[in-house]
Order: sequence, then C-alpha cells, then structure tokens
Amino acid sequence: MTLPTIKALAISEEITVAPRKRWFHHAKGRQAVLVNVLLSLGAITMLVPFLWMVLTSLKSPAELAQFPPTVLPQEWMWSNYAATLDAAPFGLYFRNSLVIATTHTLITIALGAMAGYALARIYFRGREAIFLAFIAMLMIPTYTKIVPQFLLVKFMPLFGGNDILGQGGSGWLDTWWALIIPGGLSASAIFLFRQFYLSLPKDLEEAARIDGLGEFRIFAQIYTPLIKPAIATVGLLTFQESWNNFLWPLLVTTSSDLRVIQVGLAVFQQLDNTQWQYLMAGTTMATVPMVVLFIFAQKYFIQGFTNAGIK
Amino acid sequence: MEVKSRMRRTASVAMVALMGLGLAACSAGEADADLNPDEVSGEISLLTPIFEGSPGQDLLEDELLPQFYEEYPNVTVNVDYTTYGNLNEKLTTAVVSGLVPDVMLMGVGWIEAFADKGVLADLGELGLNEADLKESYTDEIVEAGMWDGNVYAVPIMLDTRFGVARMDILKEAGYDSPPSSWEELIEIAEATTVRSSNGSLERAGFDMMSLDARQAFETMLFSAGGALFNEDATAPAFNSDEGVAALGLMADLVNKYEVEDIGFTSTDDIVNPLINGRAAMGIAHNNLWTQALEADETVLDNLEPFVIQGDASGMFFGGTLATVANNSKNPQAARALLEFLSSPDAALAANEQRGNVPALTELLDSDYVQSNRFVQFAMENLEVAQREGGPSQWLEVRGDFAPAVQAALLGQKSAEEALDDLAALVQTSIDR
Repeated sequence: MTLPTIKALAISEEITVAPRKRWFHHAKGRQAVLVNVLLSLGAITMLVPFLWMVLTSLKSPAELAQFPPTVLPQEWMWSNYAATLDAAPFGLYFRNSLVIATTHTLITIALGAMAGYALARIYFRGREAIFLAFIAMLMIPTYTKIVPQFLLVKFMPLFGGNDILGQGGSGWLDTWWALIIPGGLSASAIFLFRQFYLSLPKDLEEAARIDGLGEFRIFAQIYTPLIKPAIATVGLLTFQESWNNFLWPLLVTTSSDLRVIQVGLAVFQQLDNTQWQYLMAGTTMATVPMVVLFIFAQKYFIQGFTNAGIK
Repeated sequence: MEVKSRMRRTASVAMVALMGLGLAACSAGEADADLNPDEVSGEISLLTPIFEGSPGQDLLEDELLPQFYEEYPNVTVNVDYTTYGNLNEKLTTAVVSGLVPDVMLMGVGWIEAFADKGVLADLGELGLNEADLKESYTDEIVEAGMWDGNVYAVPIMLDTRFGVARMDILKEAGYDSPPSSWEELIEIAEATTVRSSNGSLERAGFDMMSLDARQAFETMLFSAGGALFNEDATAPAFNSDEGVAALGLMADLVNKYEVEDIGFTSTDDIVNPLINGRAAMGIAHNNLWTQALEADETVLDNLEPFVIQGDASGMFFGGTLATVANNSKNPQAARALLEFLSSPDAALAANEQRGNVPALTELLDSDYVQSNRFVQFAMENLEVAQREGGPSQWLEVRGDFAPAVQAALLGQKSAEEALDDLAALVQTSIDR
C-alpha cells in the first residue's frame, strides 16, 4: 500500500473542503454556526447536571463510592426508585405539592391579574403609592418575612381554637390554610401583570366603554385575553416556586399528612450521611412534573406571544 | 499481661453493667415513685430530628411508641419529624409563637441557648438530677445537657469524630499502626501522600476537608489540649497557644507538608475519601463504618480508628439530647416520654437505626456496639471526648468558625490572626 502524497492530500482537501469554506465565509453562515455552537454549549451546560442526577439515581452505593467515578451505571439500579418510594409516603407528598402548587397558581393568576389591571388601568388616588409599596415588597428577603408570617398564621382569629383576638389555640398552623393562603399571591406576580396591562393600547378600553362594557368585562373579556404570555409566565413561575418551596411547609406543618415532596426528600439528607442514590431518584421524580409543565406552558407561551403580536 | 488486661476489661465491663443496672433500677424506681402511669395523662407533642425517614418512623411509631403506650395508656404523642438541617428554624418559630413542643430532641451545644431563654424545663424539678445521670453517662456528656448548674437534657445518642487510618495504605508505606503523636501524624501523612508527575494530588495523606471545618478544628484543638471557652463560658479560649498550634498544624499540613490540597475533598462528596482510597488518614465521623458497610465491605478490615494524640487526646462528640418544654401543659407525660426515649432499650434501638454511638455507658456490651468497631471505639474512649458549645450564644457564633479556619488554610491569615479575629467576633456576641 502506498501512502498518499502531500500534493494528493492537498488536492483532495481542496475538493472536499472548498465548498464548506465558501459557506463558512458567508457572513450569515458564520453567524449561524456561532449561534448554534453557543446554544449547544448552553444546552449541554443545562443538561449535564440533569443527566448526572438521573445517572446517579441508577447507581449502587458501591459504584457511587468508586474513584474515579463511572459515567454510566455498571449495573442499572432501577430498584432505587422503588426503594425511594418505600422510604416515605411520596404519593401523599406528591398529591399535597400538586394541590398547593395548583391552588397557588390559580389564585395568583386570578387575583394577581385583577390587582395588576387595577394598578395599570384604573385611575384612583394613591395608585402610585400602592404600586411603590408593591415594589418595596419585592425587596424584602423571604427569610425576614418567615417569623412575622408564622405569627400571623398562628394568631389567626377563630381558627384552630383561637378566640376573636387570636389567642388560645394554634390558628392555621398544621392546616391547609397555612399552606395555601400566605403563598397565594406575590408582589412580583402583580408587578408583572401590571407591566403587561400597561403595554396594551388605551383605544381598546375606550371602544369597549362606548360599547357599554363595565369595568370587570373590560378586564376579563378585552384585556386579559391579550396577556396570555403574562399568564403563562406568571403561572409557570408561581407553580415552580410553590412546587420547590421547602421551608414554609416544614415550619407550619407538624403532621406527615400535610408534608410536601420537597420536605419528604430531606429524609435522605441526614446530618452526616446522604443517601445520594435515593435523593437523586426522588429529585428526578420530583422534577418530572415541572419538566412536563414547562413543555406545555412553553407551547402556550409562544402561542400567546403570537396572538398578541397578531392583534 | 494479656490476662491482666482481660481481667481489667471484664471487671470494668461488670462495673459498668452494675452501674447501669443500678441506674436503671434507680430511674425506674424514681419513675415509679414519682409517676404513676395510670395517673399520667394528656396529649403531648414530640419534635424530633432523629427517626426521620421511613425506617426511623417505623421504629418510633411501630415499635417504640406502642411500648410507651403500654406503660402510659393515657398519654397520646403527636410526632413532628424534621431534620437537623432545619431544626433550628422549627424551634425558633415554635418559641416565637409560644407553641413549644412538649418534648424536643436537640443537639449538643443547643441546650445552652434554649435553656437560657427559659424554653426548657429544669429536669431537676421533674426528678432527674446530675448525680444520678453521672452514674450512667460520662461526666462530659451529662454536662452537655446542663446550663447554669441545672440539668435540662438527657442524652440519647452521640456522634463522634476521631482519626481513621487506612491500614493497607499505611502498611504499604512501612507503618504498622496509626500515629500516636502529631509528629508521627505528619510523618505518616507525608509518606502516604501521592501526587502525579505534574504535581496534582492523587491521594491525601491526611484528610481534614470531608467534614465540617469547625468540627475538624475542634478535634485538633482538643488534641492540642485546648478548649473552646473558659470555664464559665464567658470568653473564648480557642485562640490560646493550643488553639494557634492546632490551626497552625492544620494549615501546615496543607501548605507546608502538602498532604492535602484545598478542594481535593469536600463535605458534599458522595463518599468519604477513606472508603475509596483517596485518603490514607483523616478525621471522620463514626458512621464511616456504616457507610463503608454499604459501599465497600472489603475496606472495613483496613479501617483503623485512632484518637488524635497531641499534648492531649483529641476526640469530638456531638449528639442528640431529650428536653422538656418549660411551658408544657402535661409535664409529667412529657417527662415520662423523655425517660422512655433515653432508656436503654429505646436509646439502643434509635442508635442502631442511625448507626450512632449510645450515650449510656451500659450499652457498650450490647451486640450492636460490639458489632460496630467504630461505635465500640468511640464508647471505649468517651472519657477523652469533648463537646462543642458552652455559651448560650453558641448557635449564633458557630457558623463563624468555618470561614476563620478556611482563611488560615488558604493562607489568607496566620492561624493566630484568624483565631484572634474570630475570638473578637465571638466575644462581641457573648457580651451583647
């Protein structure tokens, strides 16, 4: 066998590479390659931790102990998922998380949209001051609100054995009220809705009034259908935040029946020993609803933008 | 010599057993005298950072509580499970709202803060006193449950930190036993450290970074003969000569002797480096035994625990203690539950479930302790074990230790500067 000469190689390279070179030198082509490379890098960066989580959830403790670590499990331990589900009543926790996150999302969309609409489109005295108060609320760290919020819940009058002054009982503690009401609406949701309502033209409102529509119908039938992107965004963010909430459900509940999935996952993380395979299996299962929801919400998100653009 | 040693050991075990029996009888007697099970009644709540997870919950609800209800049929216990990671938040919000659980399990170093705030009941008033407890627990462990001269907590389980050596690696390097002094520790650590040709670390000679930096420092501090605070816990003592020497040694092990690099291991590692051979020696938690049992049983024969020996013997202990709320509406029922949870059978079951070290000296003879070499080692050396904590501000300041230790390890500050700065911070908190 003879080796190809340098000249022959050069000719063959010219033949095969030349068209690609031309394409590459094209400005749009270069830009597309760059964008694709960057997007691929971004996608890989996002995907690697997720893949690592799934692969870790399928390894045995012995394999997790190996150094250097393996990438793919030598033995695929699907039983880790069954063991994780056996470790705690995850079905119950999952249901609780779903109920709380769905209720938070519905409350936030319904009340947040109304509040955002009122702040954006109804003129009343003190409107700007109220809006500034909402902005100020965005700046208060969650942790500083925990104790006051806890006290509000504990001293809720006429609940949990409390009298009219909120004394004597446990208020809303260890009830669905405590899990749902305090997190039902956020200042950030109202802020987002306000900004979207502000961006809509005033002509629609005037035309609707000429047609005899009342304020609520203008809100519900004219403006709100135009802010589907806002609804999708706020809904997704609210659901995600509520689904991932850990500290508040832990603090206000004492019975296992009211615990949520994030609190349930904590059982695998003891002070000096973490059962990584179970923690990752549980986390993978807890992630699935969010991923599914995002896929669906993304679709409506884009549709909403398209509709808004057409109108 | 061997016979003598065996006789001494048998005698000591017999003594411990007798003391244990004596205390058990005493406790039971007192309980019987003070608490008539039929007259003790009420609904009480229990907040627990142990027993979480399915096996723990099953143990508590299916085995232990039914035994308790058998003895105290008129008491109902509502359990609130949490983890140590979130116990402080649970306790703090409970205290602020006034809804303090009747029985609370909490850690060593935590009692001072909650006793000082008046949250905890003085157990002396409920019939449990220091002298009785010291008959069945090591003095230092009883003192972990005391504040201002009064008993506020009874220990259930301990978790300890001590030195562990991989004897297969040490033997390869020509050493037959773990180090018995700081000098030997440095020598063996240097001899067992492995670096690749480009200088990157492949095996640490002595690992100090796969456990909390504060606890690593405390273990070394105790081995230097130092203490965290002065006797009445009104001033820091960790910046003494002993403290400076301990942190100086830790910094030297990294920067001068180069037996470990910063970031080579961390507390978030999936497995302890002693299990997979990334470290030849290290400071480890006693549950390393159960971790190794799960991950790689073959390594168990090579794991050798040792007390880190400087001018003193360095061993650290934390643990879980049972307390009663000062404002409990059913203090007798709460006391009954506390006594039950700290009784030998219940405490042994809880320790076995978590792979921890029983606080009760009499449990040294139990099958569980005898079958777990690290737990056995810990119990045999509890006399030299020291705890963290001291002032009521401990929970506020303990988070400041790790940054100070890390500053010294990174060479940003000398050991003396790091500890003096930390001491100033801690003193401000104490004086506040």
